[in-house]
Amino acid sequence: MEQPPLIIHDGARHPVVVAANAAAQNAGIRRGQQVSVALALAPDVRLHERDREAEADALAEIATLALAFTPQASLAPPAAIVAEVGASARLFGGVPRLLEHLAQQVQARGYHVRSTIAPTPTAAWLLACAGVAAPAAGATRPTAPVITTAVTTIAVTTLAQLPAALDALPLALLDLDANALATLNAAGVTTLGAARRLPRAALARRVGTVLVDVLDRAFGVASDPREPYRPPPRFERRLPLPATVETVDALGFAVNRLLHDLSGWLAARGLGAMRLTLTLVHERHLRERGLAPTSVAFAFGAPARAPAHLNAVLRERLARIELPAAVDTLVLVSDETAPLAGRSLGLLPDDVRSPESASDAAAVPLVERLRSRLSDDAVVVLETCAEHRPEYAMRMIGAASIAPARAPVSDAPVPPRPLWLLDAMRPLRADIEAKPWVLRDGPERIESGWWDGRDLRRDYFVAESPHGETVWIYRDHRYGTDDGEWFMHGLFA
Amino acid sequence: MNPALTEALAHPAIWRGGDCAPEPAAVATGFDALDAVLPGGGWPRAALTEIVLEREGIGEIMLTLPALARLQVEGSLVVWIAPPYRPYAPALAAAGLDLARFVVVRDVDERDALWACEQALRAPECGAAFIWTSTHDERALRRLQVAAREGRSWSVVWRRPGRQASAATAPLRLALAPHEGQLAVRVLKRRGAELPHPVLLDLRREQRASPHSLSDHHKRPKPSSHHAVGLPVPAVARARCLRAQRRR
Repeated sequence: MEQPPLIIHDGARHPVVVAANAAAQNAGIRRGQQVSVALALAPDVRLHERDREAEADALAEIATLALAFTPQASLAPPAAIVAEVGASARLFGGVPRLLEHLAQQVQARGYHVRSTIAPTPTAAWLLACAGVAAPAAGATRPTAPVITTAVTTIAVTTLAQLPAALDALPLALLDLDANALATLNAAGVTTLGAARRLPRAALARRVGTVLVDVLDRAFGVASDPREPYRPPPRFERRLPLPATVETVDALGFAVNRLLHDLSGWLAARGLGAMRLTLTLVHERHLRERGLAPTSVAFAFGAPARAPAHLNAVLRERLARIELPAAVDTLVLVSDETAPLAGRSLGLLPDDVRSPESASDAAAVPLVERLRSRLSDDAVVVLETCAEHRPEYAMRMIGAASIAPARAPVSDAPVPPRPLWLLDAMRPLRADIEAKPWVLRDGPERIESGWWDGRDLRRDYFVAESPHGETVWIYRDHRYGTDDGEWFMHGLFA
Repeated sequence: MNPALTEALAHPAIWRGGDCAPEPAAVATGFDALDAVLPGGGWPRAALTEIVLEREGIGEIMLTLPALARLQVEGSLVVWIAPPYRPYAPALAAAGLDLARFVVVRDVDERDALWACEQALRAPECGAAFIWTSTHDERALRRLQVAAREGRSWSVVWRRPGRQASAATAPLRLALAPHEGQLAVRVLKRRGAELPHPVLLDLRREQRASPHSLSDHHKRPKPSSHHAVGLPVPAVARARCLRAQRRR
């Protein structure tokens, strides 16, 4: 299918084409042309202004992905990532497989990759950029940087091979100032190889030390330290939808994409998600009329990272949400994370699993599955509290994680307590006089509580009702009288 | 009995009227008298149990605690769905349950409760799932029975007093009633011959004797407080009883 011609311009006063898709290139549009020229060549061309912020975000996103493969990845703006893979190649079954996995993940997000392998970071970066210098081909996402044109791998593995690979590259690739470049051009020096053969001291004096330094780093003469990329401490990603969405079902694809991003971020930081918030932002005109975005909070019983697991929990909860209006943007935020150890690889070489081994939905813990459909407060665990008043001696915890085991119960003698506690005490009134009740244990005086305004004074008894039930009843002595009222508070079920 | 006859009857191919169907994965109830009458010698896993209550507060939960504690020791979760009252944590902890492996689902409607129960029954980490429901939806109960058969959880459908039970799907049905300070367990249905008499359990005395060690109940010698009034009777005798009743 032929796409309409589309170009991205830099938004300056005399805008210049930064990138053009295949249709625009067929019309004769090239990088660096004035937009007015492009419009003359293809009047129906669609224009998009370059969004540098989105480009930086996209680069950070890809760097986060790369961090799943190596601890050393750094940004090389505007459109490159430099990663040290030598140390982790073995773990992923060799450099080709590692690159294949990485390229797959990056492409799954809609970017094009050109990966190059070289012994020095600068050389790798130069070789990768050399592909970009050629006119871009293929469709590009409107707001994303053109990273490269296709997946091709140029591999230079030894320092001795570097001169042959780099010498022919044009000097224009380097980020030199225009004067220096013009000076070199005038002298007939247009490639890295030609510059490298000039006397160093003279070259540095004429065009500055920048060129000499870059050449030294590229050919491995000088060391080339890079600042490693560190993903932000909190995950927050906006995903504008290509079209507004009316039903929750149609959000599945976009949500899945956000979860994959989240999973990459979690893997890069060695974390698992505990609580997430997904915000569904409604259409602009509704927003301006004061419609608040729909926010959905998710809690996990244990740190979770696998996209399939995250997706299974989110899907169940989303399916129960009624959208008040159409949605045009999704925002996923990590509210709470916890460390999650990486997964161990197999001992045998054949056992290398793909980095994103998906666990199926059946592996989602029961408590999370229940919570995702019911609510956090409907699925509770119980906890005892050190408290003498029976109704405050326990707590129900909604979004608590299921701990492996807690301290054993103390061996101190426990006075009789019922297994069922009534939330509202049931007044016995006439019942207790009508038929014989047997008081079997008691009285146990439980009193005071003035410090929080819930003072009480009760005499508890274990009693047997005329119907044969064993119940926990008390006589209320709050008002100091000798003949308080009788209440039932629990059942010895 | 004639030793030759005894020998002949010991043959595995011979089935007697009083025998029960084999239940491979039963959880001992912790009450010997009850174990003796349940197929497989305990609460069945992978099958629904229905318990009909004549009253509440007669020791019905105490009846289940030893088995629950044992399942928790194995590392399984215990899930209670839509309990009628608040499960009182201090008492549960004192009875030897591990509150960290105890999950309560509450404030849900009938449909969600049944859904939650089905999920629990299918979950591998769940050892026991109790649901208090008044549903008579045959299909919903059948779904639970299927889920129970596929999973390995001990599942109990509790019928509160005053609600008619009709679940013919549950392979084991018990009725609980108080009887002179003891708990009378009547076996309404089991995979085996019918039981004419209820099993009487003195839970109170049992609880007094060891308030904290219900979980290691099986380590102790047979407590004298347990005695079975009803023992399995041969099918022939049972049939005669029925006829006698009918004549009356």
